[in-house]
Amino acid sequence: MNSVQTDVQIAVCGSAGDGTIAVGDILKRAMARAGYRVIAFDEYPAEIRGFGKCIARTRITTGQVYSMKPKTDVLVALNDGHAIPHVSEVRDFGAVIYDSAPIAAVQEGWHVSGHLRPGHLPYGLPMREISEQSTSANRSRNIVALGFVAGLYRLPRQAFIEAITEKFRTKAEEVTKTNVAAFNAGYERGGETYRFDKLEFGPPARRARSSLSTMMTGNHAIVRGCLEAGIETFFGYPITPATSIMERLAVEMPKHGARLLQTEDEIAAISATIGAGFAGARSATATSGPGFALMTEMMGLGVMAEVPAVIFVSQRGGPSTGMPTKTEQSDLNIAVFGGHGDAKRIVLAPTNVEGCWRCAGRAFEMAEAYQVPVVVLVDLYLSNRYETVVFPDTPPFLPKSWKPMHRDRQADLPYRRFELTTDGVSPRAVPGDVGGVHTATGLEHNEFGRPNDLSDMHLQMTEKRHGKLNAALKHPGITVCKRFGDTGKVDVGVLTWGSTFGEALEATILAREDGIRCAAMKVVMLSPLPVRPILRFLNDCKVVVVPELNYEGQFANLISGALGRPVKRFNRVTGKPIDVIQLLQAIRGAAGKRKWRKSAA
Amino acid sequence: MQRIIIGNGIAGSHAAAVLRRRDPDCQITIVSAGALLFYNRYDLPDVFRGRGDWVDYLVYPPSYYDEQNIKLRRKTLVKDVDPNKRTICLSHREALSYDQLLVATGGTGYIPERLLEYSDSMISFNNYRLAMMVRKALPDGGVVIMLGGDVLGLDLARTLIETGHSVVLVAGDRTFWPHEIDADDRPRYLEALRRMGLEVVDGRRIDRVESSHGKRPARQVIFEDGEVLKGDVVMPFYGLTPSVDFMSSAGIDIERGILVNPQLKTTGDDIWAAGDVCQIWSPQQNAYHFYYGWKNVKMMGEVAARNMTGDEVPFSATVDEQIQLQEDGTIYSPFWEYD
Ligand SMILES: Cc1cc2nc3c(=O)[nH]c(=O)nc-3n(C[C@H](O)[C@H](O)[C@H](O)COP(=O)(O)OP(=O)(O)OC[C@H]3O[C@@H](n4cnc5c(N)ncnc54)[C@H](O)[C@@H]3O)c2cc1C
Repeated sequence: MNSVQTDVQIAVCGSAGDGTIAVGDILKRAMARAGYRVIAFDEYPAEIRGFGKCIARTRITTGQVYSMKPKTDVLVALNDGHAIPHVSEVRDFGAVIYDSAPIAAVQEGWHVSGHLRPGHLPYGLPMREISEQSTSANRSRNIVALGFVAGLYRLPRQAFIEAITEKFRTKAEEVTKTNVAAFNAGYERGGETYRFDKLEFGPPARRARSSLSTMMTGNHAIVRGCLEAGIETFFGYPITPATSIMERLAVEMPKHGARLLQTEDEIAAISATIGAGFAGARSATATSGPGFALMTEMMGLGVMAEVPAVIFVSQRGGPSTGMPTKTEQSDLNIAVFGGHGDAKRIVLAPTNVEGCWRCAGRAFEMAEAYQVPVVVLVDLYLSNRYETVVFPDTPPFLPKSWKPMHRDRQADLPYRRFELTTDGVSPRAVPGDVGGVHTATGLEHNEFGRPNDLSDMHLQMTEKRHGKLNAALKHPGITVCKRFGDTGKVDVGVLTWGSTFGEALEATILAREDGIRCAAMKVVMLSPLPVRPILRFLNDCKVVVVPELNYEGQFANLISGALGRPVKRFNRVTGKPIDVIQLLQAIRGAAGKRKWRKSAA
Repeated sequence: MQRIIIGNGIAGSHAAAVLRRRDPDCQITIVSAGALLFYNRYDLPDVFRGRGDWVDYLVYPPSYYDEQNIKLRRKTLVKDVDPNKRTICLSHREALSYDQLLVATGGTGYIPERLLEYSDSMISFNNYRLAMMVRKALPDGGVVIMLGGDVLGLDLARTLIETGHSVVLVAGDRTFWPHEIDADDRPRYLEALRRMGLEVVDGRRIDRVESSHGKRPARQVIFEDGEVLKGDVVMPFYGLTPSVDFMSSAGIDIERGILVNPQLKTTGDDIWAAGDVCQIWSPQQNAYHFYYGWKNVKMMGEVAARNMTGDEVPFSATVDEQIQLQEDGTIYSPFWEYD
């Protein structure tokens, strides 16, 4: 029996228009079809074609992994100028595949082969020539390169052909034929090439072979969660990196009898979402930082009027237009605190693709259960990251339900939409419910919804709006936070949120292999904050490192503010995911320092 | 100062090391058609002793090149040299500029013209990849049909026999190359090979080389009289032919190899040559002469590097060119020695 554990990361680097992302897409779909687990993340410029670097990185594994690898095993250069800076990402004895017969003369020093480290293994391939020979055009050099990789490592050819066919399904039949021919030509060449590197692809894991295993991005998983939760209305305005949520919903929602409207801007989108929520629909919008900034005023209305609504926010580099195609985690503050007034809301930050699906579905339940806008906060890295996910046969999400208006209430008394109850949640009526007439307003109000700014009332209502959310911490079917790694007292704890968790967990695993007692905790619910388990975790850790993709440490501030504990910040604003090795070094540093202190004491 | 060395064998690699020692600041780039770092080809017969990983053949670890600040460009074929522009042109259409150039491209296996059409189906033993191909094609106790029988081949034959394989040598006028043996002595030397365990077929002309059932590699040799010699692989060992094609338009003097003076300087400005690729002027013999063997070639790398950095030392051979008939009746070639 072949017991090789597969863990291979392949990066394809080209210029916008080279078909880099397309190749990455086919690679990951083919490998997922073949039964491997896949995590993939693409980086691309804001422009569509002509310039700008694109990189498609795909990590293919048999076991469960949580992030991209810090070092790449195979780099495919479709554009030398762009690929050269990434050669150093390739590990020792890793492979670099490049075009050995470019169409134009190469300026001295600008061929990727001249930049390989001594430990790298070069594979030159006349990509353009092979494309021309096999398809009479040079357009398919990207597919030739893909075929070469597949042939070199003896990857299952049929899975690739199926993935290519699927990719070009909507194009003329000739397009598929041409690309299959280019792939086959590359595959043959790869198969004939002597392989010096020792990369091995073992058989895929059995669980991943399950027919229920699906490969999708975080945004796609959000869409799935929305549909499975029975979304009824969606209003949105396109913005990178959230657009694909709306695009996919636009295709899927009509099939389920649901409605989607592209509004004129984000203010209209959130207003319509809140309006639909008020009317009793499961309603959502999706945006990114700049759009979310516009939405905060209406979100305040949702909090004040206790209207369920779901807002998906995919963060990108900011402020302002910032870096639309680069990832960042700098919208935690606006998600948790944004807007004016004491506008407490629920904020969920999934940490992986499966979490995107789960949080999306549960967000609708929570919005209804606690009558409040729920923000699901992801980032570009998670929005665009592909993972293979195994979904349950039956979606776990609860159908529409909320605390209803009392049927036996005294008919002659007006309906108290904002009744002060012990759990803070008031019986809800939606338009059309007989006897449910009430005022819903942005003004502070009394139990009937009528404007009232007496100090006692404001205090009671503020307490109600805050207090009712505590129950969300125990909402069924959602993990608000979870600890991993060593149990009990540890030298270093890594406290994380959002997409960074994957890198944090990988770094923790490596640190434990180094002999450091180390644990990680992911916090999914950022508001209300699960203070008790976090406190327990902090108490167990000698040092706590908080890695984040923002400059000031917004999560670290949240933790320190809520718990009054100092934490060690690890902040990066490179527009890229956290580097596992750098984080590992920070963990080592934290552990070493403590040990040194201990022995000095 | 940009110094380019074409060739990553012992001549080029040793020259690079000496250049670095003598000039810590210059830029040194080695350009090599092969994919691997410098490795010891003399040890390649060890693939039959279970040493299969190419890393085990490396002379220096990858870190050596960084430490020595030597840039190594692998899988990079030189197509052309332009001494006027002082550039070398690479097959991927990049031109590299040099101030000084050392050509150390060695040689490839020579194949007699009448056998050229079979060269794809025979497996030579020029590099690690080919060595691994032979190992794959040869079953335990399998039979190698060795054509020619130069010293490289005879060295391999010793290992093959030691590791339980059989070697059938189809001897000819290149047997023992590059040693020259008097016709009178030849039977004794062939007899010595038999004593070493080789089966020797002599005086037969090959008509063709064939694979069985159309599958590569070639497995049999058919002599002109129709007799068939069967084995598992057919390997040509007819000596080396210098790799000089890419120099043909460079305007320097080439005979079979690149012609150099005793200081290993070619007739082109700032171009030197070393190793199997060059023919060195021998004032004693009043002729150009090839010198083979690890030690000679390494010495050439040293001499070229010294002269490129200001010396004027001549090359003198260090290896005895005589093949020895030993007391136990076997032969020994000084070319089999390396350090
Ligand atoms: C398996 C094997 C065993 C051998 N054993 C013996 C032995 O026992 N005794 C003996 O005397 N000799 C032996 N030889 C011969 C021996 O290799 C040579 O004498 C010596 O190694 C030559 O060294 P070199 O540096 O001149 O050239 P080589 O070692 O041949 O190196 C030539 C280099 O030039 C590069 N090159 C060639 N053309 C180009 C080009 N156009 N562009 C870029 N790079 C190019 C090649 O890639 C290679 O890196 C053996 C050879 C082989 C293959």
